[in-house]
Amino acid sequence: MTSDNRPLEPTPRRALSFRAIINNAGIGLALLALILFFSLTSEFFLTSNNITNILTQITINLILAVGMTFVILIGGIDLSVGSVMAFAAVVAGKAITLPDMGITELVLLACLAGVMTGLICGLLNGVISAFWGLPSFIITLGMLNIARGAALHVSDAKTIYSFPSAFENFGSALIYGVPVVFLVALLITLIAWFVLNWTVFGRLLYGIGNNEEAVRLAGHQVFWLKVAAFTICGATAGIAAVIYMARLSISSPIAGIGFELNAIAAVIIGGTSLAGGRGSVIGTLLGAFIIGVLANGLILIGLNDFMRQMITGVVIIVAVILDYYRAKYSAS
Amino acid sequence: MRIFKTVATAATAIALLVTPAFAQDKPVVGLVMKSLANEFFQNMLEGAEAHAVERGDYELRAVGMQNETDFESQINAVENFITQGVDAIVIAPADSKAMVRPIKKAIAAGITVVNFDVALDEDAKKEQGLELAFVGPDNRGGAKMAGDALGKKLGEGAKVVIVEGNPGADNATQRRLGFEDSVAEYKLDLLDSRTAHWETEEANQVFSTMLTAHPDVQGVLAANDSMAIGVVKALENAGRSDILVVGFDNVPAVGPMIEDGRMLATVDQFGQKMAADAIDLALEVVAGGPALEGWVKTNIKLVTAE
Repeated sequence: MTSDNRPLEPTPRRALSFRAIINNAGIGLALLALILFFSLTSEFFLTSNNITNILTQITINLILAVGMTFVILIGGIDLSVGSVMAFAAVVAGKAITLPDMGITELVLLACLAGVMTGLICGLLNGVISAFWGLPSFIITLGMLNIARGAALHVSDAKTIYSFPSAFENFGSALIYGVPVVFLVALLITLIAWFVLNWTVFGRLLYGIGNNEEAVRLAGHQVFWLKVAAFTICGATAGIAAVIYMARLSISSPIAGIGFELNAIAAVIIGGTSLAGGRGSVIGTLLGAFIIGVLANGLILIGLNDFMRQMITGVVIIVAVILDYYRAKYSAS
Repeated sequence: MRIFKTVATAATAIALLVTPAFAQDKPVVGLVMKSLANEFFQNMLEGAEAHAVERGDYELRAVGMQNETDFESQINAVENFITQGVDAIVIAPADSKAMVRPIKKAIAAGITVVNFDVALDEDAKKEQGLELAFVGPDNRGGAKMAGDALGKKLGEGAKVVIVEGNPGADNATQRRLGFEDSVAEYKLDLLDSRTAHWETEEANQVFSTMLTAHPDVQGVLAANDSMAIGVVKALENAGRSDILVVGFDNVPAVGPMIEDGRMLATVDQFGQKMAADAIDLALEVVAGGPALEGWVKTNIKLVTAE
C-alpha cells in the first residue's frame, strides 16, 4: 500500500461531520415545510390516526429504499426490487399455506423463504453484473422480467390468501400508535446506517462509488463487495415481501409493479448521488417520508388523482435540483 | 422493455407459424386474450381450454400478452391468425380503438370475428365502417347491482366513497358510471372518488387516507375485488367494523370475506365461461348460422352472504 491510498481507508467520521448534517438538514427542512403546509391545510393531517397511517404506508418503500441505497452508493441501480418482492411474496405465500404444520413453523418457514428468495435474486444480480462488468441497469432489468415471470408461474397467476391470523396480527399491531412493521423498517434503517458508516465494509462501498479502481488497487475484493451490496438489496426486497403479506393478508403475483421507481426516488430525494459514493440512509429515510407525506397529504386536502400525480413528479424534480446546489455548495 | 417485447412477439409469431394450419378438418379458432398475468384472464383461458377439450370438435389456439396495455402483441396475433387462415378469431381487445383496424382486416379475409369482454369503441367502428356484435357483460349494470345492494342496506343519504380502476380503461369507466347510477338512485352522498389502479396495496393506502379525511363514511364501492381486499384490510387496521364494502369480480380470495360479513357483496361475471361462450357463438356462425348482432349480454350475478 502506498500513501496514495490513504484517503480510502475507512474514516467512520464522515456521517457525523458538519457537512453531512447540513446535507441531511436540507431534506429535513423540506420535509418540515411539507408537514407544516399540510398541518395548516388539513385538520386531519396531524391526528394520531393519520400519523399511524403514514408510518404504515411508507414502511415497504422505506425497506426497499434502504436496500437500494447500498446499490446506488456503489454506482449501481436495481430495477428488479418490485418484481423480486412479488416473487418472494408468492414463494412465502406458498410456504405459509402448506398443510399439516404448526403455525409457528409455517410463519418462520414463510419468512425464511421470502427473505431467501429475495437474497438469491439479489445475489444473482450482483454476481452477473460484477463478474462480467456489465451495467446493473440492464442486468436488473432482465431480473425484473425473470422475477415477475417466476412469480406468475409459481402462483399460476392466482392470488394466494388465507394466512394464519397470528401472522396477520403482526401486520396491524401497534405499539403506542406506532406500527410494528414500521419499527422493523426503522431497525433495518439503523442497522444499515451503522454498517455503512461504522464498518470497514460500509466505507469500502462508498470507496467503490467514488473510485472503484483505487479500492481494487488497495487490495480489496471489489467483486465480492459489489455482490454483497446487491445481495443486501435483494434481501430487503424479501423482507418487504413478508411485510406486504402481513399487512394485506394476500400474496399477489402482480404486487409491487413500479415499486423500484418509488424506492429510487426516495434514495435520490434523500440526497444520495446516482453516480455513487455520496449519500446516506438517513437521507433515504427522510426521502421516503417526503414521498409518503406527499401521497397522504395531497389526498387529505382533496386534490384529484391526476393533479396528485403531477405534483409528486414536480417534487421529485425539485428535490434533485436542490440536491445539485447542495452538492455544489458543500463542495466549494 | 421493448427488446423483451419484440423477442416475445417474435417467439409467439414463430410458434404460431410452425404449427400446421390445418391439421384436421376441424374448424380452427384463434383466441386473443388480454394479460395472462391477470387472474381473471388466466381463469378465462383455463375455461376456454377445458371447453375445447370437452367439445372436441374445434382446434383452439390461444395467445395472451404480457400486460394490460400491450396492444401491439394483440395486433400481431390477429395478423398471424389471418396469415394462418383460421376460421374464427375470438378477441378481448386490449384497446377498444387500436384493435378496430386489424379486426376489420380479419373480417375482410373472410374470418368470423367475435368481440368479447371489452366492446370496441363505437365511434372508431363507425369511422372504419365496421359492424360487429359484442359479446360481454354489462359492467355498468353489474356495478349498479353491487351499488344497489349497498344503497338498500344503508338507506337514503348515506355517505359513500368510490375506489376506481385505471383511469381511461373502458371497464373502469363503466363500473364507475354504474356506481354513480346507484348513488343517484338511492340519493347517497358521494364524498370522494379516487383511483387505486386495480391494486390491493394502493387501495389500502388510498382508502386509509380517505377514511382519515372522511371518518363518517358508511360505505365503499370498489371497482374490483383486489382493491376491495385492500379496503377491508384498511378497515381492520382502523378497527372499523361499521363500514360496508362492495367489490366486483368475485375472485376466490373474497369468498371468506363475504361469508363473515367483512364484505357485503361482489359481482360475478363468470369470466371462466365468458371466452367459452364467445367461442360457442363464433362456431355457430362458422357452421353457417346467422351473424351476431348488437350486444349479446353475458351473465352477471350479485354474490352476497345469503
